[in-house]
Amino acid sequence: MVALNAGITQELKIDLATSSIRELNAELHAPTARRYEVHNPRGAEAIAVGLRDEIDVEIHGPAGYYCAGMNMHADIVVHGNVGTGVAENMMSGSVRVRGDASQSAGATAHGGLLVIEGSASMRCGISMKGVDIVVGGNVGPMSAFMAQAGRLVVCGDAGEGLGDSIYEARLYVRGSVASLGSDCVEKQMRDEHVAELTELLAAAGMDHDVSQFRRFGSARRLYHFAAHNSAAY
Amino acid sequence: MCGIVGLHLKNPALQPELGRLFVPMIEAMTSRGPDSAGLALYDDTGMHVVKDVGLPRDICAAHDIASRSGYQAVGHTRMATESAITPEHAHPFTPAPGLALVHNGSFSNHASVRRNLAFDGITCTTDNDSEVAARFIGREIARGADLEDAMRMVLKEFDGFFTLLVTTATQFAVLRDSFACKPAVIAETTDYVAMASEYHALAELPGITDARIVEPEPERVYAWSR
Amino acid sequence: MTDPTQAGLRESATFDRATIAGIQRAAETGVYDIRGWGAKRAVPHFDDLLLLGASMSRYPLEGYRERCDTDVVLGDRHARNPLHLDIPVTIAGMSFGALSAQAKEALGRGATEVGTSTTTGDGGMTPEERGQSKNLVYQYLPSRYGMNPDDLRSADAIEIVLGQGAKPGGGGMLLGQKISDRVAGMRTLPAGIDQRSACRHPDWTGPDDLTIKILELREITDWQKPIYIKVGATRTYYDVKLAVAAGADVVVVDGMQGGTAATQEVFIEHVGIPTLAAIPQAVQALAELGLHRKVQLIVSGGIRTGADVAKAMALGADAVAIGTAALIALGDNHPRYADEYAKIGSAPGYYDDYQDGRDPAGITTQDPELSARLDPVEGGRRVANYLRVLTLEAQTLARACGKAHLRNLEPEDLVALTIEAAAMARVPLAGTSWIPGQGF
Repeated sequence: MVALNAGITQELKIDLATSSIRELNAELHAPTARRYEVHNPRGAEAIAVGLRDEIDVEIHGPAGYYCAGMNMHADIVVHGNVGTGVAENMMSGSVRVRGDASQSAGATAHGGLLVIEGSASMRCGISMKGVDIVVGGNVGPMSAFMAQAGRLVVCGDAGEGLGDSIYEARLYVRGSVASLGSDCVEKQMRDEHVAELTELLAAAGMDHDVSQFRRFGSARRLYHFAAHNSAAY
Repeated sequence: MCGIVGLHLKNPALQPELGRLFVPMIEAMTSRGPDSAGLALYDDTGMHVVKDVGLPRDICAAHDIASRSGYQAVGHTRMATESAITPEHAHPFTPAPGLALVHNGSFSNHASVRRNLAFDGITCTTDNDSEVAARFIGREIARGADLEDAMRMVLKEFDGFFTLLVTTATQFAVLRDSFACKPAVIAETTDYVAMASEYHALAELPGITDARIVEPEPERVYAWSR
Repeated sequence: MTDPTQAGLRESATFDRATIAGIQRAAETGVYDIRGWGAKRAVPHFDDLLLLGASMSRYPLEGYRERCDTDVVLGDRHARNPLHLDIPVTIAGMSFGALSAQAKEALGRGATEVGTSTTTGDGGMTPEERGQSKNLVYQYLPSRYGMNPDDLRSADAIEIVLGQGAKPGGGGMLLGQKISDRVAGMRTLPAGIDQRSACRHPDWTGPDDLTIKILELREITDWQKPIYIKVGATRTYYDVKLAVAAGADVVVVDGMQGGTAATQEVFIEHVGIPTLAAIPQAVQALAELGLHRKVQLIVSGGIRTGADVAKAMALGADAVAIGTAALIALGDNHPRYADEYAKIGSAPGYYDDYQDGRDPAGITTQDPELSARLDPVEGGRRVANYLRVLTLEAQTLARACGKAHLRNLEPEDLVALTIEAAAMARVPLAGTSWIPGQGF
């Protein structure tokens, strides 16, 4: 680890070619600096997981599974693609991916903001529980599966089965939707939805005309277990 | 349950480098499959298969894979689920000349498919579920199907979870099941097509930062030919 | 009503009264039956095994005078802070939601009083439970309801749940009657809905990906917490090997008699294998890896007495977990509620409608009035008493077998009463050297 500024350590540079993931996370769990640069991630797993301080972490290159998992308070930027489960179960703070994200991006996350500037593959926002996710490109099949709460904004297209068995999460899609999953329906864009979408796009730094988006959510027909729904099970 | 890797060279100039490029790929998948490993290398003399128990690093070193040349390679690291840890149970499964299959996942009806194949006189030599898929594809090709069609037949015949990478002397094809839970990433440049369970297996390839990276969609065959 | 058998009437063995009632219920409702409890059918169990006490060839220990230790360390394979429990009987995972907050607190109090652990469930960790549990195992489930990294860090161990004995391959259920405002809030669900949770984890599938998930959990908790993997007993030999390969410190195997708060009846009775059949498979897997007693094995599903504890440990378990029995200790199915059980169509000894939220004993409910019937302090005392009895009984049997520590019980201390039990438990039929399935 190299301190970029001599004296008071405000910024640390960690090179994963020479430091281990354990050393990186141990430092980030008891931070001695305010800002971190992580180099040579080369798709490694569990980079910057379990952070709980208000620090900035910039990861220069592609990250593997569970990057920024369970983040609290930290602001994390990945300059590259990320693997499965980026920002899974995030509580607060923010995670920004400059590239694409693999499966289960933002899975079960309770809070914070996840921005994927590229596209996300399957199961983006699966079981999301309050997080805001903004995807610049497309999302893959089964995205927002069993999504409980929070907002998912897709600036491109959504794959098959969007929002299957969705609860109270709100979905906004600008492009096409290959198909809607069980119990997911298009809903009216009211003023409060335009307002929250405008806010989310601004927070994500995405410039789109909100009138191009459609809103989707739960028809709430599967909330109660009943014989007439058996075809949906 | 496993890690899979494959490298299909488009630029002939890279052929002398095949082994050197491939060894870090399979070694990167060690934690996904620490029991055994195997690979198939394709050069102008044919397909060469190496399978053994142990770590990929040791297996590659023992066979000096890094110095091998060729135009295509597939590899597999195995975490045995329900069948024994032996060289024969390691992937790739190579039921016909030039045909190699590696699998990550778990089929749920392979016993029935195995019985159906046996009725046609095709017997598996191990109790491994992946071998059944390899022999099934081999049968379909023998009946005249091309590789892509044979892999689509897998979708009809097999139940369960799978990411498959199947190669022949001329083709390199990837397929995931409808759930697509088992990971896969494909990187393509003008020089090569590379596939792996996880990106970090591709991280050392030349020009990877500028490669087109694709995560294969469910139930779609991705194929390349030479 | 006169007894029909007295009049010479004959009941069908195939279509018995419960089966007939099931068909009638299905025809009426169009929905399968959902209930609590575990498998009710008779399966080979610990009652089919006997211990060989000492006489001439072996020397017994004096009860009450000579020590028979009971402590166990769980999770010292990779974790910096393994659990050190005073007794090898733990409380299994049961959610706040399935149980009232008072019941959860009582279980924590009882477990803490006797120096053992209790476990959260599919609904997150409550402050009452954390506060009253010295050793608290935090379950990590497919739904991730209430999953909070601060709770993960405050837990004493993490249990990654792949399945449970009552429903291997199935997800959780909690019907609307029990989704109170507080339960709904903890699970981020609308109050009053019928919750059916996922059966697979949302961000990994299979042991190769689980390896990476475990790495993440260890990194988040700085390698301090033991990581358990819990599986429902089915293909136990393979599952235990894969749990170890994925990096588990402790493997929890839950047999088909293991309880549930709400599951399809067809699932409870028809999926999984008996606890007795699962233990030897698990032990074989660990032994082949050279890790028996290094990766600890916790067994659950139908543990009721100290005899069950001793027999499970003799077969190779390092500890056991109790669920249903702990609820009974709290007051579940108590005759004092006979009238109230009758009002809801049940009776003491039969009550299994945990999904329904109308539990007269106030345990499996979120109804404020019913829940208030259970005093957490008194409940904790009862659980502690029961755990003490289990331990004393197990010690009694272990001493009789000449053991100064419970862990020194071994399969050779057991014989079986039936061929089925002998085959499953891999111990000889009593009075013979015959273990069916072996020695051919």
